[in-house]
Amino acid sequence: MSEAAKDAPVTGWAPEIEELKFRRAEAQRLGGVEAVQKHHDQNRLTIRERIDGLIDGGSFQEVGGLTGQGRYTDGTLTGVTPAPYVMGLASIDGRPVAVGGEDFTIRGGTSWSGDRKKGGQGGFIEDLAASYLIPLVNLIDGSGGSVTSINRRGHAVFPGVHGFERSVELMGKVPVVSAVLGTAAGGPAGRAILSHWSVMVKGTSQVFAAGPPVVERSLGQKINKEDLGGADIAVDHAGTIDNRAKDEAECFAMIKRYLSYMPQNVWEMPPVVDIGDPADRAEDALASIVPRDRRRPYNMRKLIELVADKGSIFEIQPTYGKALITAFARMNGKVVGILANNPMVYGGAMDVRAARKQTHFIELCDSFHIPLVFFVDVPGFMVGKDAEAAATLREGMRAVYVALQASVPMFTVVVRKCYGMAGMGATDKNGLDFKIAWPSAEWGSLPIEGGVAAAFRREIAAAPDPKAREREIEADLRSMASPFRTAEAFGVEDIIDPRETRAYLCRFIDAAQGRIRTTLGPKARYGVRP
Amino acid sequence: MAECEAKSEVTGSVWKIVTAVGQHVEAGDTIMIIESMKMEIPVIAEEGGTIKAFLVKEETPVSEGQVVAVLES
Repeated sequence: MSEAAKDAPVTGWAPEIEELKFRRAEAQRLGGVEAVQKHHDQNRLTIRERIDGLIDGGSFQEVGGLTGQGRYTDGTLTGVTPAPYVMGLASIDGRPVAVGGEDFTIRGGTSWSGDRKKGGQGGFIEDLAASYLIPLVNLIDGSGGSVTSINRRGHAVFPGVHGFERSVELMGKVPVVSAVLGTAAGGPAGRAILSHWSVMVKGTSQVFAAGPPVVERSLGQKINKEDLGGADIAVDHAGTIDNRAKDEAECFAMIKRYLSYMPQNVWEMPPVVDIGDPADRAEDALASIVPRDRRRPYNMRKLIELVADKGSIFEIQPTYGKALITAFARMNGKVVGILANNPMVYGGAMDVRAARKQTHFIELCDSFHIPLVFFVDVPGFMVGKDAEAAATLREGMRAVYVALQASVPMFTVVVRKCYGMAGMGATDKNGLDFKIAWPSAEWGSLPIEGGVAAAFRREIAAAPDPKAREREIEADLRSMASPFRTAEAFGVEDIIDPRETRAYLCRFIDAAQGRIRTTLGPKARYGVRP
Repeated sequence: MAECEAKSEVTGSVWKIVTAVGQHVEAGDTIMIIESMKMEIPVIAEEGGTIKAFLVKEETPVSEGQVVAVLES
């Protein structure tokens, strides 16, 4: 270069553009080679790999990639430690989503104090989802605040200084999905729960209010983090997190699948996907799937598969509250939420877990305008001392309450038993109250065999052969309990050949679409849940 | 050889053991039947194997999640 050229003023922005490149490259390094290797050794992906694994190829537009702590020598930049949160706009199946997550390779993904939060509780990513009304996906791998922040700030922060108000607002507006991909305690654990659907990876993720050191200090209990908050506890036992994945790849596939049933926000209709499965497909197996012997259960999941669009079922909370099956599916391409009692577990009786599961699923579907289909085989609320001690009655009535407040269309198919308050909670009492039943159906305030002994106690006791008299009364009552007799009185809208179930439901679900369009938008919640 | 446990999904009582020690079962087969909520709830083998031992007898009460049989696969 000539002396004259060296002294010439810089006319473009090449030096700054070079600096920008350098800063971006630093952001890509995350916590550095060693920290990333350590993370990989634990069978965990980095936040950038997670985002890439979830979204449509090349669709990530990062926001805030320059955030972090610059290192300077004599005023010259030598490196940047990125902020431990990566986020931005991306596409999943061609639809925009806001996505973000903690970078565990930098200080374990603990909070970072910039001028504006990037994500976690509040922050840009939640503002983006709320402002543009697009789904939010949280990829959680952080342990929240640290007591060391007292040192940094010189004072203790009041709880809620970075609060959940935006997270709560989102619950009524756009789909929120959280994946727990590491050990989540405190704020990030709470953030995971404030979602419409959550998932964790078996073996590599745990979730709890506080981890083993705090538990030992508080209660003297020595417990490892997997036993405290692994998937066995958090998903199967407690239902704190909805679904489990065997690895991160399956987790991302499940998130995509979940979002495929969701509208972008509560002002839009759920997406229709027609796979060409005929609406009038009639499966012969349905005619004999329910055993004539009332004591014998059957495979309710198989029944749902025979009725719904082929391959369209996605079960929510499959390992929690197993007396009830909750699933998204499609009927003639339209999304429906299925609630089906599972006779294989407590004969389908609604226990406290099933009640909680039902309450959440009805509210979820109602919020996103997804019509509900009940496949009913419920003998009532679960009975017994354990059930009473667990507040089954209160949780059960909460499920009934939420169903009565929901305004999305509901369709009731009585497969076998439909008794008592749990049965009532499976109907659309404030809507069309449209109930179709199979010939195997039976209903009432309570099952005959339980009710006779109580209602006819004196008559039975006075009979020469009390047992025989009890059986006689049961037989008399049962002869009048035929579903056809209720159909004569229009107490049930129709009795159908089980093979007609799909066609019948598809007609009505198709017809309800126009009505659903008239009620789009957020759902108001009034009153006090029991 | 790996051992696996068969658990009762429900609280109830053992109504009928429909298999025998030494018997081979396939995944999905019924090992025993628990009576609960006036229903016959099967305990189903999650994977195939040979029944090594029963940990309960007929008419004994069982709790939800209780291991009722051990299988070898």
